[in-house]
Amino acid sequence: MLKNYFKIAIAVLRRRKFFTFISLFGISFTLTILLVLTAFIDKVVGDNYPDKKRDRSLYVSRVSQTGKNTMSSSPPSFYFLDHYVRTIKTPITIAISSGFNGTNTYVNNKKIAVNYKYTNSEYWEVLEYDFLEGKAFSKQQVANSDKVAIISADMKKEYFGDVPNVVGQYIEADNVKYRVIGVVQNVPITSYMTYSDIYLPYTVAKDGDYKNNKGYQGGYYGILLANSASDLDKLHNEYEQMIQRLKPEQKEFDRVSSHADNYIRSYVDTGDDRHSGVFIVVTAISIFAFILMILPTLNLVNINITRIMERSSEIGVRKAFGASSSTLVYQFIVENIILTLLGGVIGVILSFIVLQVINSAHLIANLELSINFMVLFIGLLVCLVFGLISGVYPAWRMSKLNVVTALKAQ
Amino acid sequence: MTKHLFKLIWNKKKQNFLLMSEMLVSFLVIFAVFTLMVYYYNNYKKTMGFDYENLWLVNYNNTYQTKSTDSLNTFYDNLRQTIKSMPQVKEVSFCSSNVPLSQNQWTGDAHYKKIAIGVDHYIADDNYKNAMNLQLLEGRWFNKADANLKTKPIIISDATREKLFGNETALGKMIGVEDGKFDYKVVGVIQGVKARGDYSPAKPAIYLRTDTGSYSSLGKMMVKVTPDADAAFEGKLYKTLANYMRDSHVEIEHMVNKRKSTNLFSLVPMIVTLIVACFLVINVALGLFGVLWYNINKRRGEIGLRRAIGASGQSVSSQLVSESLILATLSLIIGTFFAIQFPLLNVFDLKAEIYIVAMILSIIFIYLLVFVCSLYPGKQAAAIYPAVALHEE
Repeated sequence: MLKNYFKIAIAVLRRRKFFTFISLFGISFTLTILLVLTAFIDKVVGDNYPDKKRDRSLYVSRVSQTGKNTMSSSPPSFYFLDHYVRTIKTPITIAISSGFNGTNTYVNNKKIAVNYKYTNSEYWEVLEYDFLEGKAFSKQQVANSDKVAIISADMKKEYFGDVPNVVGQYIEADNVKYRVIGVVQNVPITSYMTYSDIYLPYTVAKDGDYKNNKGYQGGYYGILLANSASDLDKLHNEYEQMIQRLKPEQKEFDRVSSHADNYIRSYVDTGDDRHSGVFIVVTAISIFAFILMILPTLNLVNINITRIMERSSEIGVRKAFGASSSTLVYQFIVENIILTLLGGVIGVILSFIVLQVINSAHLIANLELSINFMVLFIGLLVCLVFGLISGVYPAWRMSKLNVVTALKAQ
Repeated sequence: MTKHLFKLIWNKKKQNFLLMSEMLVSFLVIFAVFTLMVYYYNNYKKTMGFDYENLWLVNYNNTYQTKSTDSLNTFYDNLRQTIKSMPQVKEVSFCSSNVPLSQNQWTGDAHYKKIAIGVDHYIADDNYKNAMNLQLLEGRWFNKADANLKTKPIIISDATREKLFGNETALGKMIGVEDGKFDYKVVGVIQGVKARGDYSPAKPAIYLRTDTGSYSSLGKMMVKVTPDADAAFEGKLYKTLANYMRDSHVEIEHMVNKRKSTNLFSLVPMIVTLIVACFLVINVALGLFGVLWYNINKRRGEIGLRRAIGASGQSVSSQLVSESLILATLSLIIGTFFAIQFPLLNVFDLKAEIYIVAMILSIIFIYLLVFVCSLYPGKQAAAIYPAVALHEE
């Protein structure tokens, strides 16, 4: 039966090429935009390089203090992470790293902009960067305030040029010479908690913020790695309890809040508990997708009705020979889904081309977008929803056709 | 005639309902796009308010440990002298870290009588105006003598003047910042600075003068250089700064590049929206075209009859075109009802003119779109021979 429907669908598609083109155009371009959007979101929140142990990590990206009309929100301080968070009893490893900051360095009268980041030695145990050469700095090196640096592959190319080995050489940044001890694979800037060009031990930080700042707020991020995924709930609760016990630093505040959350939640943490970042992002994306889909859907419904009315004699004959309304509706929806899937294939090819163009345009450094199974699955889902929605109303209209008028129309 | 057309449309309301809703949604989408474009264009044609060419920004952090404000002042005055003495440097100014074109923003209140508005707070020294090349509209910029004045001086932007004082003169008035005390005297009004790039408006701003203790909390330096300052000089300047402020991080950025990247941030969403809108419009146009074309094919009998009793081809095609234009009018009336809510309820804090211009543009656009799409089907209808068409019945 399905094979029959398929044959009919193809025959109908070939009959009115202009209408087929309009339908396919609408479906494929809508899908292309949605796929590119999904690929982007998937890359930004789904890419787990270098934090491959996300299933047993919690992220601390913000500490907020709120009062009646005032609010102060920023990443936590080194002291906060090193002192308060360490009181948690569940065994954890805490990776602490500063946000990335910019500085310059000048090589042969050429200016290079450098982003640098300070980390502790546990950072390299918690996060699994791919080392192209060398290795991470040790606890001992951090304690000694050794001037050592781990650089990204891009930085190596820009600073040293195309040389095979740079470990042991010196790189100058912020007017200080650091000995390169490792080179790691690049991280896109959208992973703001792990991105940098140069990674340095926190003890070499010039401003000494890690030891002078005893407040809650500063410029560091924390990643708490539990021993197993089952510990996460306990860890989360313990963290919340620890925060509850903290007193606000100034009189105008009455509450301290901070969360140890999974990656996605902490990625969009606004610091304001009343307006969840996840909610805002999801709403914005849904509204965009809705507006994007409603016009092509309406268009497709319009075209479908037109095509069905053209086929009124065929429907009249089938009805006269006893086909029930539900059979006809079923047939039409299958036909429509075949059409949308065809559009879907074109859409996937188009989005593949668009992604190549975006990647080669280098809009965001190190962000390589690609189509993976997750993206394809969402594309398939969108196609099916599209086909159903745009098929149901015309099919219903068709099944309501009166046999006599349908036959007489020709 | 129009009444007759309405009747025809009403008879096929079921079919036309879908067409109309498609036009309605396209109108709303086009309205949103035009609003954005008009808003951007409106901002773009205003002046930037400062000169970003050959202007460098130095990021540092104050790490000079001292309890005495005098030695702190001497420390930074000496630094200023050193840099200023370089031949390529025209002017040096210390200011708060919320420099234009950076992500950093300080917002707060400004009060006059009972009016309170949200403004950008800037802290700047006496050389800021020359370094940035700000346009003074009234009064003067800060100078050394201000340190001894009894009332603290303040400089406001033209947008602040308009919001706080309307048509009154601003110079000499006392205004308040943050708290209820009106202890700042307006000494100058400057042309507003578009701090968030070419496509954003110049927000109301106030400028406070750096005082003796300010240096400990400042973190930016504006350096105006001559056009021949190159990377070699930049390296030299960098070394001078880093060697003088031993414990500080130093970064030099060019305002020209900052402007580019800030603009890119506003342009990319705009370009994406435009591309998407373009595809949507093509989609809708093809759809409309297809449906109208099909409708005419179905009405061959009716058209043939009209031709047979003497209607010219011209009048047949104009009937079909005006039918679709009436359809468009109906959906535009509903669409305008929704669109007019935006200026009435002041949803996004934009000026009403922007919405109205955008609305007019999108109405014209939809009419044009429908007109173009119905032109060819109308022409086809005019070409129908009554004999052929009537024979089919």
